[in-house]
Amino acid sequence: MFYAQLLVNGIVQGLVIGLAALSITLVFGIARFPNAATGDFMTFGAFSALTAHQATGSILFGGLGAIVATGLVSLLAYWAVFRRLADRSVVALLVASIGIGFLLRAVLGVVFGHGQQVFQVPLTRPYVFNGIRVMPLDLQLAAVAALALALVFSLLYLTPIGRQMRAVADNRDLARVSGIRPGRVMVALWLVAGGVAGVAGMMLGIKTIVTPEFGWEMLLPAFTAAILGGIGSPVGAVAAGLILGVAQELSTPFVGFTYKIALAFIIMLAVLLLRPRGLFGQLEGAR
Amino acid sequence: MEAYLVAIGIIALIYVILSLGLTLQYGLTGLINFGHVGFFAIGAYTSALLAFQGVPLVLCFAAAAVLAGIAAWPIGLVSLRLRDDYFAIVTLGFSEVVRIVITSEKWLTSGVQGLPGVPRLYEELGGFTAQLAVFATILAVTLLGIWMIRRIAGSPFGRLIEAIRDNEEAVQALGKDPARFKIQVLVVGAAFAGIAGAFYAHYITYIVPDQFIPLVTFYVWMAIIMGGVGRVSGAVVGSAILMLFLEGSRFLRDVLPGVSEVDMASVRIGAVGFLLILFIMYRPQGLMGDYTKR
Amino acid sequence: MSLEVRDIGKSYGGFKALDGVRLTVETGALFGIIGPNGAGKSTLFSVISGFVPADEGRIILDGKAIDGLSAPARARAGMVRTFQVPREFRHLTVRENLMAAAPQQTGENLLGVFFRPGRVNEEEAAIADRVDQTITFLKLTRVADQPSGMLSGGQKKLLELGRALMAKPRMILLDEPFAGVNPVLIDEIMERIAELNGRGIGFVVIEHDLQALTRLVPRLAVMDRGRIIAEGEPRAVLDDPLVREAYLGGVS
Ligand SMILES: Nc1ncnc2c1ncn2[C@@H]1O[C@H](COP(=O)(O)OP(=O)(O)OP(=O)(O)O)[C@@H](O)[C@H]1O
Ligand SMILES: [Mg+2]
Repeated sequence: MFYAQLLVNGIVQGLVIGLAALSITLVFGIARFPNAATGDFMTFGAFSALTAHQATGSILFGGLGAIVATGLVSLLAYWAVFRRLADRSVVALLVASIGIGFLLRAVLGVVFGHGQQVFQVPLTRPYVFNGIRVMPLDLQLAAVAALALALVFSLLYLTPIGRQMRAVADNRDLARVSGIRPGRVMVALWLVAGGVAGVAGMMLGIKTIVTPEFGWEMLLPAFTAAILGGIGSPVGAVAAGLILGVAQELSTPFVGFTYKIALAFIIMLAVLLLRPRGLFGQLEGAR
Repeated sequence: MEAYLVAIGIIALIYVILSLGLTLQYGLTGLINFGHVGFFAIGAYTSALLAFQGVPLVLCFAAAAVLAGIAAWPIGLVSLRLRDDYFAIVTLGFSEVVRIVITSEKWLTSGVQGLPGVPRLYEELGGFTAQLAVFATILAVTLLGIWMIRRIAGSPFGRLIEAIRDNEEAVQALGKDPARFKIQVLVVGAAFAGIAGAFYAHYITYIVPDQFIPLVTFYVWMAIIMGGVGRVSGAVVGSAILMLFLEGSRFLRDVLPGVSEVDMASVRIGAVGFLLILFIMYRPQGLMGDYTKR
Repeated sequence: MSLEVRDIGKSYGGFKALDGVRLTVETGALFGIIGPNGAGKSTLFSVISGFVPADEGRIILDGKAIDGLSAPARARAGMVRTFQVPREFRHLTVRENLMAAAPQQTGENLLGVFFRPGRVNEEEAAIADRVDQTITFLKLTRVADQPSGMLSGGQKKLLELGRALMAKPRMILLDEPFAGVNPVLIDEIMERIAELNGRGIGFVVIEHDLQALTRLVPRLAVMDRGRIIAEGEPRAVLDDPLVREAYLGGVS
C-alpha cells in the first residue's frame, strides 16, 4: 500500500520531469544544443502562474499564464541570443543558455524577492481508492499535464509545422533541401519549448514551494529523462520522465530524500554508457 | 585598508588557481568542465576535515590536491568518450552530486550547518603578519602553478592536447589515444581546483555547502572567457576582472541604500549571465584576444 | 605489411554503403581505388582504419584479425590513414602539426615533461630535423610557421600527407591526396610515393583523377555502389564494360 502511494506521487512528479524533458529534447533535437536555461524557464512559468493565479483565483488561468508568458520569454531568448549563435559551436550555445538562465533567475529574484511563495489552493479531502489516497489537486494537475501533452503532440504530429519540426529533428540538411523554412520552425519550437517548461514549472510550484532557484534543481532530472528517452524523441522524454519520477519516489525510503537527484545522475551515467541512444532514440547518440 | 587589499589579493589568487585548472582543461584541451566547483569543494572539505584531526596543514593541502585529482579519475573514465555537450552535462551533474553528498552526510560534514573554525595558516604569527604570510604563500603557489601550466603548454604534451582540441579524430589517426591525454588533463586541472579549495577553507575558516554552487564554476568560466581562452595570462587578467566585479558589487551594496544582500546576490547572478552572453556573442576571443576562435 | 579486407558490409539506415567488399593488398604494394562519387571508397578507409565499425566482415593485417582494435591502435600497428577533407590542427602551425605527428614522444607524458627535460629536448631536436625535411619536400617552407587553419585547400592536403609520413607507418591509406594540389607538385609527390614504396612502405590510394592514378599504381580496384566491380592492372580494368558503365553513370 505504501509503495502504491509512492507510485501515485511519483506519477505526478514524473509528469513534471517529463514535461521539462520534453522541452529539452525538442530543443536538443531541433536547435541541437542542451538548453541549460530550461530549469529557469520552469521557474519563470511558476512565477507567472502564481501571479495569474493570484489575480484570477483559477488554476486554469494560472496554467495559461505560465504557457503564454514562458513561451514568449523563450521566444525572446531565441530571438535575442540563440538565433545569432546558430552557426557557432554547441559550447557557445550551451554557455549562452547558462547565461540566460542566470539572467532570468536574477530578474525573478529582484522582482519577486527571495521569500518562499506558495500557491494558495484550497485544501480538500483526498479520494480513497482501495486505501490509496489521491488528492483531487493531483488529479487536476495530471489533467493539466495531459492537456498540455495532448496539445503538444497534436501540434507535432497533426499539423504541417509539427511535421516540419520533426523533419528538422530527423535530418537538418535533408529538411533544408526539401524547402523547409528554418525560421518558422524555430519560432514554433521556442514557443512550444517555453510553454511546456512553463506548465512543468507551475505544476512543480503547486506541489512545492516557489523560489527563484527551484527550477534549476530540476535540470539534472530533466536532462536525465531526455537522455533516457532518447534525444529528439518527444514520446521517449515523457515516458522516461514518468519512469524517473516513479523511480525517485520509490527509492526515497531507501536512499533518503536528498539523494533523489543523485539517483538521476547515476541513471544518466548508466544510460550514456550502456545505451547512449536512450530507450526510443534514433539519433546518433552521445559518442 | 592594507588588510582589505591583501584579503582581496588572496581571494583573487584563489580564482587564478581555479582559472589555471580550467585553462588547462578548456583553453588548451577543449574539455567543457562545468563541474569545476565540485573539485574545489572536495579540496576544501578534505583539507578542513584533516586539519580538524590534527594533520599538519602541509599534508592537508597535499591531500586536497590528491583527492580532488583522484575524484576526477572515474569521472574521466566514464565520460571522456562522450560528446562535448554531454561531457558538460555530466560534469555539471557531478558537482551537484558532490554538493548533495556534502549536505547529506552530516556525520562527516555537519551538513548545511557547515564547518566553522577551520584552522588558519600561520595562526601563530597572528593578525596582519599572518595574513601577509598567507598572501605570500598563495602567491608562491600561484606562480608555481603558472610555471607548470606554461611548461605543459610549451611541451609536446601541450602540443598534443591542443591538437586534440582542434581535431580529435586526426589525433587518433596518428596512433594517439585522446582519452589518455584528456584524463591526465582532467586530473591535473582538478588538483588545481583542490588546492584552491584548501586555501579557501583555511582562509575563510568557515565552509558550508552553499559556497559550492555551480555559480562558482561559472565565475571561473567568466574569468577565462573575459581574459581570453587558452592563454595563461588570460586566467590572471580574467580573475582580476572577476575580483573587481565581485568586490565592486559588494561595494555598491554598501553605498546604495535599501539594497539587501539577497538583492545584490541576484544582481550578481544576473550580471554573470549577462556578461557570459555578451562575451559569447560579441567577443568570444576574450578581452585580450586569443587563438581559440570558438 | 599486408592487408586483407574480407566481406565487409556497412549500412546506413537501409542504405548499403559497403556490400561484401573483398580486397587483398600485398606487402609493399602500391594499390589504387577508383570509383564514382558515393561509391563507398572513403567509408571503406574508415572501416579499415577503425573509425567506423563494420556490420559484417573482417579486417586482417599481417595475418592477424584487427577488428577488435581501436583506431589509434591500428595506426600504431603501422597503418596510417589520411582524410579526404583535411583535418588540420587549425590553431597549430604547419611545423607544430608535423611535430605532433611523430610517434612515441617522451614529452607527451607529463612525467617526462617535468622529470626528463633533457631527453625531451633531444627528441624534439631530432623530430624537428625530420619535420624540416618533410616541409622542404612538400614545398611548404613559406607557410611553415603559419597557423594551418589559414592554408589553402591544396596545402592542407599536403599537410595531411606530411603528418601521415611523420608517423613512420609501414602502410599509408591516402584518400584523394591530390585534390586541389598544384599539378607540378602532384608529379613530384607521385615520384616520392614511388620512392617510399621502393623502400617497402605500402600505399593504398583513392583518387578521382584516373590519369594520375594509372600512372602511379600497377594495380587498382574499381568501386561502385558499395561493391568492388573490377580489380587488376589499370589498362585491363579500364576496358572492362562494367567499369565503363559505372563511370558513364557517374558522369551523367
Ligand atoms: N555517416 C553516414 N551516414 C549516412 N550515410 C553515409 C555516412 N557516411 C557515408 N554515407 C553514405 O555512404 C555513401 C558512400 O560514401 P563515401 O564517402 O564512402 O563515398 P566515396 O566513394 O568516398 O565518394 P567521394 O568520391 O565523393 O568521396 C554515400 O552515399 C554517403 O552518402
Ligand atoms: Mg570519399
